[in-house]
Amino acid sequence: MDDFERELTRLMHDGRRHAPFEPGQRARLYEGIRVRRRSRVLWRAGGSALAVAGLGIGLALLPGTGTRSLPADRPPLPATSPTPPPLSPVPTSPAASTSLPATGMPGTTAPGHAAPPTFPPSGTPDASPSATHTPSSPPVSTRPPDTPPATQEATQEATQEVSPSMTAGGG
Amino acid sequence: MERYRADGFDEFVAARWSALLHVARLLTGGDRQRAEDLVQEALVKLWFAWPRVAEQAPEAYVRQVLVRMAARSARRRWWGERPVGELPDRAGPGDVSAAVAERSRLEAALALLPPRQRAAVVLRYCEDLPEGQVAQALGCPVGTARSHASRGVARLRQLLSDSVRPVG
Repeated sequence: MDDFERELTRLMHDGRRHAPFEPGQRARLYEGIRVRRRSRVLWRAGGSALAVAGLGIGLALLPGTGTRSLPADRPPLPATSPTPPPLSPVPTSPAASTSLPATGMPGTTAPGHAAPPTFPPSGTPDASPSATHTPSSPPVSTRPPDTPPATQEATQEATQEVSPSMTAGGG
Repeated sequence: MERYRADGFDEFVAARWSALLHVARLLTGGDRQRAEDLVQEALVKLWFAWPRVAEQAPEAYVRQVLVRMAARSARRRWWGERPVGELPDRAGPGDVSAAVAERSRLEAALALLPPRQRAAVVLRYCEDLPEGQVAQALGCPVGTARSHASRGVARLRQLLSDSVRPVG
């Protein structure tokens, strides 16, 4: 330690004066303590509230919580299935009951089942004759070829009458 | 419990208030109001830590808080210059206020140091702390604290070379 450092030490020590701890300073100190304690309590309360809110939001946003579906809870399947239920034994008209096997395609469908994929739409009257009377179409029907045209027209009319009931019953 | 803590705390504050205020004044470069604010804030922190540090080293805790708060407040805001209505009188040779002027000059020179260097010089030459405790208060290695102190002293030597002379 050289002379300057010794002088620096003396200067710093000489400047020390006795300053009593006055009541006003004490009151100010405890006021600061009260303010700090209050702010700490508020910070803790706010932090806790934020934590609880975040936890609640997180639990609410978890996928599948509360809306998880069990197989037993599923509702029954709707009646619109590709295989409608079998027709009732009570016929709506004699022509429909007799013409159904003729217009249907028994060679491609199982007994008791209609064949919607190969059956022409009933709402398009000009499509069914072309589909049934196309010469190049393969002979999938077992209907005898010598059926008179009058019978074919009656069959088509019966088909147009029966098909809406089938779709209504199916749908 | 609060009363027990307040009793021991009050005794400590009453005993060390003057010394803490003097260190804080040097750390702030002679700003008495800011020094008092720093001591108040450091003692508020000490009150909450009192159950932990009362039996160990409460003064070291306050000293460390003071150094860090002084450095932080120096970074936060410029405190060194304040407008006044009248210029203060300069002390002449043989004036009875020569000691006061000398101290004011020391504080003004300390205010020109960076906060870390100032803290190292004050703790080393005013509090007479060893280098290890200076480093602990600064929160840095001993070599860094020694470097801060030596650079601060060199800067003060340059600033006070014409005023700090042994009186023959």
